[in-house]
Amino acid sequence: MSASLEKGINALKKEVDSTVGAFFSSCVNCGMCADACLFYTESPSPSRTPINKTEPLRRIWNQEYTLTGRIGKMLGLAKPVDHEFLEKWETLVYDSCSLCGRCSMVCPVGIDIALMIRKTREGMAAAGHAPEGLIGAVTRSVTIGSPMGVKLPALMAQISHVEKDTGLKIPMDKEGAEYMLLLSSMEIMNFPEFIEAIAKIFDKVGVSWTISSEAYEATNSGIQIGVADIAAELVQRIVDAAEKLKVKTVISPECGHAYMAIRWDGPNLVGKAFSFEVKHILEILDEFRKDGRLKISGKETQKLTYHDPCQISRRGGVIDQPRNLINLFTENFVEMPEAGKMNWCCGAGGGVSSNERADELRLKVFQRKKDQLDEIHPDGIISACSNCRIHLEDGLEEYNMDIPLLSLTETLAEHLED
Amino acid sequence: MKQISNDADFKQSLQSLSYDQQRIVATQFVEHVLALCTDDRLKRVVDTGLNEKATQDDLSNALKSAKSITFDCHTRCGAEGNWSEQAGYFVARAAIAALTPEPQSKSGGPAWQAAMSSRMAQTSVQIDSDSSDLTDNKWQYKILSDFLNS
Repeated sequence: MSASLEKGINALKKEVDSTVGAFFSSCVNCGMCADACLFYTESPSPSRTPINKTEPLRRIWNQEYTLTGRIGKMLGLAKPVDHEFLEKWETLVYDSCSLCGRCSMVCPVGIDIALMIRKTREGMAAAGHAPEGLIGAVTRSVTIGSPMGVKLPALMAQISHVEKDTGLKIPMDKEGAEYMLLLSSMEIMNFPEFIEAIAKIFDKVGVSWTISSEAYEATNSGIQIGVADIAAELVQRIVDAAEKLKVKTVISPECGHAYMAIRWDGPNLVGKAFSFEVKHILEILDEFRKDGRLKISGKETQKLTYHDPCQISRRGGVIDQPRNLINLFTENFVEMPEAGKMNWCCGAGGGVSSNERADELRLKVFQRKKDQLDEIHPDGIISACSNCRIHLEDGLEEYNMDIPLLSLTETLAEHLED
Repeated sequence: MKQISNDADFKQSLQSLSYDQQRIVATQFVEHVLALCTDDRLKRVVDTGLNEKATQDDLSNALKSAKSITFDCHTRCGAEGNWSEQAGYFVARAAIAALTPEPQSKSGGPAWQAAMSSRMAQTSVQIDSDSSDLTDNKWQYKILSDFLNS
């Protein structure tokens, strides 16, 4: 057995716990998860059934931790877990799954299949069967602090630009600030107007906030690729910065998986409760609304809809807040069919967007989103995840649909009362 | 002779222009930074934006083309960023701002938005060259002053 395969198998063994055992023991092979997965419905193949994507983990559980499986292994009847097998599963685990969690919602016996696929990725990555794009993103996250290689001088240049345009000061490393804002590299590189929007809103509302020069990156590619140690290291950087600056709340920006990583997985990854709160930017903005601090003027007359990012709505539970905020500036809002916790993924989450090999499939499964949009024909789509936003734009272009994409935070800032 | 020398006057003067005039000035901003985008299609977009006699169909097609360029130029999530290439993305976004129909235009208007994206394109190039000398905006003031005085 090669060293990398041994590492992979050990990583899979490490992932097997009572939860995994209970889940695999409970699966009734009903196949309901298949119809909940856009990678299956839009590109049907039995292999793309979500529970099947966990087969590497299932084999290890079966062969190492069940009586029948162990006897079968002794008799040489066990199906192998070797490089050939893992290589075959790599595209199922990484290219054909955005970790959106829709499969977990429909499982009649309550298996969190998305969690199981994430656990499977731990073994795949350790064995060296992960996509090049994700490996690069992880390497840059560890060495530079950003999956896209955004260094501090680049952030400072963008901040300087925003400060010049708005006349507002972006507070860096301000000790004792109430809020510490995290940013995704996507926002820094592709959507710097998000920083501008935050600066304008926070100035109007009058809150004390800051960005840490030591931990400004919100995303966590360690989770996407499935390397818990790296994921924990990236979370710890944020924890250290927040504790150093003594902030009360860390804000996760308009990025789906970043919220999942820092809000829900973060404390478990570092093994202790945070000394601060973590909230998504939409939760913060909705608190301002509730307190009457967010003064909005003017209404959009176009027919607008909202795309629920999976990790924010389904996995994160932030469903009402965006709608409360959207109601402040729209008079013609329309929901997509299956909106909210059962919304269909854009198809690019969970590291799929970093994986060029998956491009063709990613655009093919966008058909599901197109079908949703075709039922309501909106004039514009609002979202709260930079990755969803850019992939929706890409998909709309591919399918010749001319529908503008809007950031919720940025649109809100456009409607601030003078 | 009106001379613009600061951002407050710059923004106010841009917003006092008609929507069509803003499109022309905005496209001139794009033209100034056009060399930062390697996509040849953008030159045709600029030509259309500068054409005072362009029809709605011409403008609509040019907008579509500019949008397509941004999809080709943006840095994908998780990919290694190249700020020089990213400059092209912001030039294309400036073109989108210039050509977006009035009802969909963002606050500040098309010319202001195009000016901001053009500056961002220059900032991107300077990030890549590790230059601390960030953009000066005098060239935008001159374009607007010349337009107002023409």
